[in-house]
Amino acid sequence: MRLPKFDYRQPESIQEACAILLDQPDAKVLAGGTDLLVNMKHRVETPSMIVSLKGLRDLDYVRKANGMVRIGALTRLKKVYNDPFVAKKLPALAAAASSVGSYHHQTMGTLGGNLCQQTRCKYFNQSKWWRSARPLCFKAGGDPCHVAKKDQVCYSTYCGDVAPALLVLNAEVVLSGREGSKQVPLESIFSGVGKTPLNLEPGQILTEIVIPEQSADGFSTYKKIANRGSIDFPIVGAAVWTSASTGESRIALTAVDRKPVRTRQLEDFLKGLELNEETIQGVDGLVAKETQLMMSSIDSISYKRKLMGQLVKSALSEAMGGR
Amino acid sequence: MKQAIALTVNGDVYEVLISPNQTLLEVLRDKLGLTGTKKGCDLGACGACSVLLDGEAYLSCLMLAVDAVGKEIVTIEGLSEGGDLHPIQKSFVELGGLQCGFCTPGIVMTAKAILDEEPQPTEESVKKKMAGNLCRCTGYKKVIESVMSASGRMGGKQ
Amino acid sequence: MEKQFSVVGKRLPMVDAAAKVNGSAQFTDDLTFPGMLHGKLLRSPHPHAKILNIDVSKALRLPGVKGVVTGAEIPDRQYGIVPKARDEYALAKGKVRYIGDEVAAVCAIDPEIAEEAVDLIEVDYEVLPAVFNVQDSIKEGAPVIHEGVANNTSFAIRKEFGDVEKAFAESALVSEDSFYSQPVNHAPMEPHAAVAQYDPVRGQVVLWSSTQIPFFLRRNLSATLMIPESKVRVIKPKVGGGFGQKIDMFAKDFCAAWFAMKLGRPVKFVYERDEVFIVTRQRHPMHLTVKTGMAKDGRILAQQFLSYADGGAYNSTAPTMMALSCFFLMVPYHVPNLLYEGYHVYTNKPVGGAMRGHGIPQARFAVERQLDLMADRLNLDPADVRTKNSIKAGEPHPGGFVINTCGFAESVQLAAEAIGWKEKRGKLPFGRGVGMGGASFPSGVTNMSHISSGAVVQVGQDGGVNVLTGAADIGQGAETVIAQIVAEVLGVSLDDVRVTAADTGTTPLDPGTFGSGVTVRAGNAARIAAESVRKKLFECVADELEANPDDLVARDGVIFVTGSPEINITFPKALKAYQYKDLPMPLVGRASWMADTNEPTTLFTQPGNFSPNYSFMTQAAEVEVDTQTGKVKVLKMVTAHDCGRPINPMLVEGQLEGSIAGGMGQALYEDVITEKGQVMNPSFLDYGFPTTMEVPEMESIDIETDDPVGPFGAKEAGEGTQLSPAPAIVNAIYDAIGVNFNELPVTPEKILKALEEKKKQGV
Repeated sequence: MRLPKFDYRQPESIQEACAILLDQPDAKVLAGGTDLLVNMKHRVETPSMIVSLKGLRDLDYVRKANGMVRIGALTRLKKVYNDPFVAKKLPALAAAASSVGSYHHQTMGTLGGNLCQQTRCKYFNQSKWWRSARPLCFKAGGDPCHVAKKDQVCYSTYCGDVAPALLVLNAEVVLSGREGSKQVPLESIFSGVGKTPLNLEPGQILTEIVIPEQSADGFSTYKKIANRGSIDFPIVGAAVWTSASTGESRIALTAVDRKPVRTRQLEDFLKGLELNEETIQGVDGLVAKETQLMMSSIDSISYKRKLMGQLVKSALSEAMGGR
Repeated sequence: MKQAIALTVNGDVYEVLISPNQTLLEVLRDKLGLTGTKKGCDLGACGACSVLLDGEAYLSCLMLAVDAVGKEIVTIEGLSEGGDLHPIQKSFVELGGLQCGFCTPGIVMTAKAILDEEPQPTEESVKKKMAGNLCRCTGYKKVIESVMSASGRMGGKQ
Repeated sequence: MEKQFSVVGKRLPMVDAAAKVNGSAQFTDDLTFPGMLHGKLLRSPHPHAKILNIDVSKALRLPGVKGVVTGAEIPDRQYGIVPKARDEYALAKGKVRYIGDEVAAVCAIDPEIAEEAVDLIEVDYEVLPAVFNVQDSIKEGAPVIHEGVANNTSFAIRKEFGDVEKAFAESALVSEDSFYSQPVNHAPMEPHAAVAQYDPVRGQVVLWSSTQIPFFLRRNLSATLMIPESKVRVIKPKVGGGFGQKIDMFAKDFCAAWFAMKLGRPVKFVYERDEVFIVTRQRHPMHLTVKTGMAKDGRILAQQFLSYADGGAYNSTAPTMMALSCFFLMVPYHVPNLLYEGYHVYTNKPVGGAMRGHGIPQARFAVERQLDLMADRLNLDPADVRTKNSIKAGEPHPGGFVINTCGFAESVQLAAEAIGWKEKRGKLPFGRGVGMGGASFPSGVTNMSHISSGAVVQVGQDGGVNVLTGAADIGQGAETVIAQIVAEVLGVSLDDVRVTAADTGTTPLDPGTFGSGVTVRAGNAARIAAESVRKKLFECVADELEANPDDLVARDGVIFVTGSPEINITFPKALKAYQYKDLPMPLVGRASWMADTNEPTTLFTQPGNFSPNYSFMTQAAEVEVDTQTGKVKVLKMVTAHDCGRPINPMLVEGQLEGSIAGGMGQALYEDVITEKGQVMNPSFLDYGFPTTMEVPEMESIDIETDDPVGPFGAKEAGEGTQLSPAPAIVNAIYDAIGVNFNELPVTPEKILKALEEKKKQGV
C-alpha cells in the first residue's frame, strides 16, 4: 500500500517546524510515523506536506528539574519505560508505554506521537478501496458517520495507551508555536470531537510532557485488555492513581470515547471513602455514565462496558493492596 | 519531487534517487534489490519488514527512506559475514525455527536486536519482544527455542 | 543391532533453510525482470450488482499506463480448481457477486501509477438485492447469485449406509445438537503474487506464481486464455505459506498472463494484505446438525448429519470440500450407520475454499463436541468413549476404507496421560479444565484416478543427485522430505541431493500440495525413481562384490552386502565402475505413482477406500478461563500423533505446532466478520491471529506405525492436527466453567455472557 505523494521538509529546529506548519496549514508533523503513515497509506490522511521531526535531537530526554519530570515529546516509548525513574516511580506510565503496539512500535513510536494519535474507527481505518463500498465518512471528508448513522458527526474512538496514564499522573504538556510555548493540562488538548480530536492551534506542536514529581508518591497503574498479549490497541485501558496520604484517586480510561476520559464523578465518589471491596462495587455505574461507548470497533459496547468496570475495579483493588 | 539521498546499508553507501513518499522497505527492495526484507502487510502489523536501524528493530514499511539518511541500516543480507551464517541464523536452521521462510528475515533481525539489547533474555522477554513478528507456520515454539539457543551460542553476549 | 535408516527419520534442517535465513530465498514478489510492468485490480464496491458500463478512457490516458482490461475483453471461459464446479471469470462479466469481485485490471510502468489508474476507471452499476447468509439464500424468491442455480444451492450431497432410523431406535441415548463454525482466513504471511513473461516468437507464457498447484494452474491458464497447455509454463518460486488458500487461482494469475501476452512485457501483480483477507479464500462457515445414537456404554450406533456450508460468491473447491466433510465422519470412530446430507450455498460474501483440513474441521468440531456432550449425558468418561469407538487397523470398515495402520486408540491414551486427564478432568478448580479431541486425515486420495505424481532422479558423474519433482513446497518442507527419501534409497547424504521442483516446464506432473498427499504420493514416486537408479548401480557392482544384486544395501555413501558390511564399495567408486563399463551417464531413474484404486471414483453411492493411508491423532488441552475478562489462556496442548514413520520428526513437530496455533486461532481468536457482505477486519491487526504471547506449551508424542503404503512407512502430517485443537479447547472450557459452547469462535464476550447467564440461573 503506497503512500500518497507529499512534499517533505526536515526542519532543523522546532521553531522552523512551527513556521512551516503555519505556512502550510495542510502539513502534518511526523514523529515515529507508526500511526500517521498507516493512515496515509489508507488515504484517510493526505497531507500535502510532511514535516519530519526525525532530525531534531533535542526533544529526546527524560529529566527531573524543580519538582517536575520533563520528557521530550520525541522520546521513544522504549526509552520512556526503560528510564529508571519512570520504571520505579511512575509505574502507570511505564506500563502504558510498554503496552503500546509491539516492541517495534515502542522502538519507533514517540511519547508525543502516541498522545497525538488519530482516533480510530472500523469504518475509517481501512484502505481506500474498502471505503469505496460506502459513502465517504465524515472524518474522512464526507458527511455520514457510519457508526452513529447520522451526518456531520464522528464517533471514532481515542485508543492511545499512554494518555490515561499521563492523565492520572496530572501531566501537563508544552505546546510550542511560533509565538513561543505554553504549558497546559494534558486533558485540555483532547477536544472530544471525533473529526478533529486534538485542540492544537495552527502551527502548534506538542514538544514536552511535564509530570509533577508528587505524582510519583502515590500508587499508579495502567491496565489494558486487548485481543492479544501484544500489538493490539486496547479494547479498554484504564489508569488509576491513588494517594494513601490524601485519600485522593484519579482514574482515566481509553478506548471508551472520542477522547481519553478522566472519570471525575467516580473520583469524587471515591474521595474520602475508604477503598474497600464494598466501595469498589459502586464503580460500574459511574464509569458507564462518564464515557460514551460507540460501535466504532468490532468489539461490542456491552463487552467494553463490562471490561471498563472490571479494569477500574481491579486497578483499585491493586491500589488497596499496594498501600 | 525526487531527491538524491545516500543510505548506509550493510556498511555500503548507496546513492539513490527517491520520492519522499517511498518507504525504506520500498527502497531496499525495489531500488537496492535487497529483497530479503519482506512486505507482509505494509501497515506495521506483522514484522516481516524488520530491519536494524542503528542497531534497533524497525519496521521498514513505516519508515520514510528519506528519514533513514545518516542511520546505519542492516538488513538480513548484511547479517551473515561472507558465506557464514550468523549464529542466530544457524540456530534457526538447526532447530527448525522456520517453515515457509517468509517471516524469517524479519524474525531473525528482531532476534538480533533483542539479543544485542539483552544478551541473556528470559523466554518471557523474547516472547514479548517477538510478538510483533507474526508467523503463520511454526506456532512460534521453535522460533523461541531458536532465539534462546542463539543466546547461548553467542555466549550470552553479542 | 544394525541401524535401520541413515537419513529418513532424522531431525534434519530443511534443504532450503539457509537460503530462508539469509534472505536469498526468492518469493514471487522478489522477482524482477527488465521492462517489468505492474498490475492492479479494480474491485467491486457492491456485494451484488450488474455492470452496466465501464469507462476506462481516463485511466488509459494517464501517462505510464500501458493497458486496461475488463471482463468484456477476456475470453468467455470460466476457471475453477474443480472442473465440474467452474463458475468464475478472471474479471467479472456483466455482474459482480461480492465486495471485492474483480471488475477491471490495469497495467502501468510502476505500481503507483497503476493504483492511480484504477481510481480513474468509471463503472456504472445497477445494484441488485444481495443475500448474506445461508438461511436467506435458500429461501424461495431470494436473489439469484448465479443464473440457473436454484435456491443458490450449487451442490447437494447425500451419503447413506446402514439403517440410521433402526439404530436410533435401538440407542440408549439419541442426541441432536447444532453447531456452527465461523469463516477463518488462512492469512499466509506472503501475499498472493504473480509475474508473467511472454515470448512472442514461440508464443510461450511463463508464469511465476505463489501457488500450491502449478499444474492445475497451467491447465486453467490454458483453458481461460485459450492457448495450448504446452505453451504455458508455471513456475512456483518459494511460497510463503498457503494452508490451502493458494490451492486456488486468482485474477492476478490470469491478468498477469493476459497483459504479458498483449504487451510483450513482463507483468507483476501483488495483492495487498486486505485483498488477501477479502478476495482470496476462507474456511467455509458451516452450520451442522448432528444426531447421534449411542449405546449405554458409549458406542456410537448411528450418526445423521445435516450441513449447510456458506460458500460465498463462488464454488472454488465446493464439491471436494463437501465430500471431505462427509467422508471423514467415518474415521477415527466406527460409525456403523450413517446418513449425511450437505448443501453448498452461494451468498454475496467472500469465497470459501480449501483450508487446512478442508471441510473436515467444521464436522470434526461438531462430532468431538457432541461426543463430550453425550458422554456427559451418559455419565461416561469422554476419553473412554473415544477409545471405545476407535476404528482398528485391518478390521472391515463400514464405509469401505482400507485402514492398514491405526494408532488412534493409543493416541487417546497417551494424550490423556500427558495432559493428566485422570487427575485433572472435573477436578481442577473452577476456571481451569482439560479437554480432548480426536481426528483422522487422509494422505491424499485414491479414488480420483488423475491424481498421480512423477519423479526423475539423476546421478551425475561426480555423484551429485538431482531430483525432479512436481511437488509444490509451500514451506512445509516437501522438497526436504523428498530429498531425504532419495538420499536414503541411494545411501548418500542429504547434502548430495539437489531438488528441482514445481516447474511445469521441467518437472514431471504432480497435482500439487493439497489433501496432505505430497509425502505419500510424490514421496513414493521419488522413492521408486531412486530405487531404479540404485538397481542399475547394484547390478553393475554385484560382480565385483561377488554378490547377488538383491543382497546389496546402499547406506552412508557405501554399497555393501547385507550382513557383511566389510564387503563393500563406496558410492563414488561404484559410479566410476559404472562408467568404466561403458554404461551411459547420467544414471536416470523415473517413476510415476498413484495410489491403488478400484473404480468407481465416487464414494457417495457405494463404499470404497478414500486414501492410501490415514493419519490419526488426539489432542488434549488444558485451559484457564479468566472469569473477570472472559479470556481463555490455553496453558498446554498435547498432541499424540500417528503419522506412520515420520521422515523428518523435526518437520512433523513443526507442522503440528503450527496447526495448534491455527486451531487455537479458530477456537478463540479468529473470525472473518462481515457487515452486509463487507469484511470488517481485513488486517492482521483486526483479524488478530495468535502471536508468541498466546501459544501454549506444546508437547508432541509420536506413535510410530510402519504403514505399508507410505514411503518408509510415512503418512500425512500437519493437516489432520488442525482438526482437533478447536474441539479440545472448547471441551476444556466446558470442564473449566461448565458451559457448553457449540459455536466458534468462543470469544471472551461469549464467555462473560454465559457466565452471567449461569449466575442468573443460579447454577
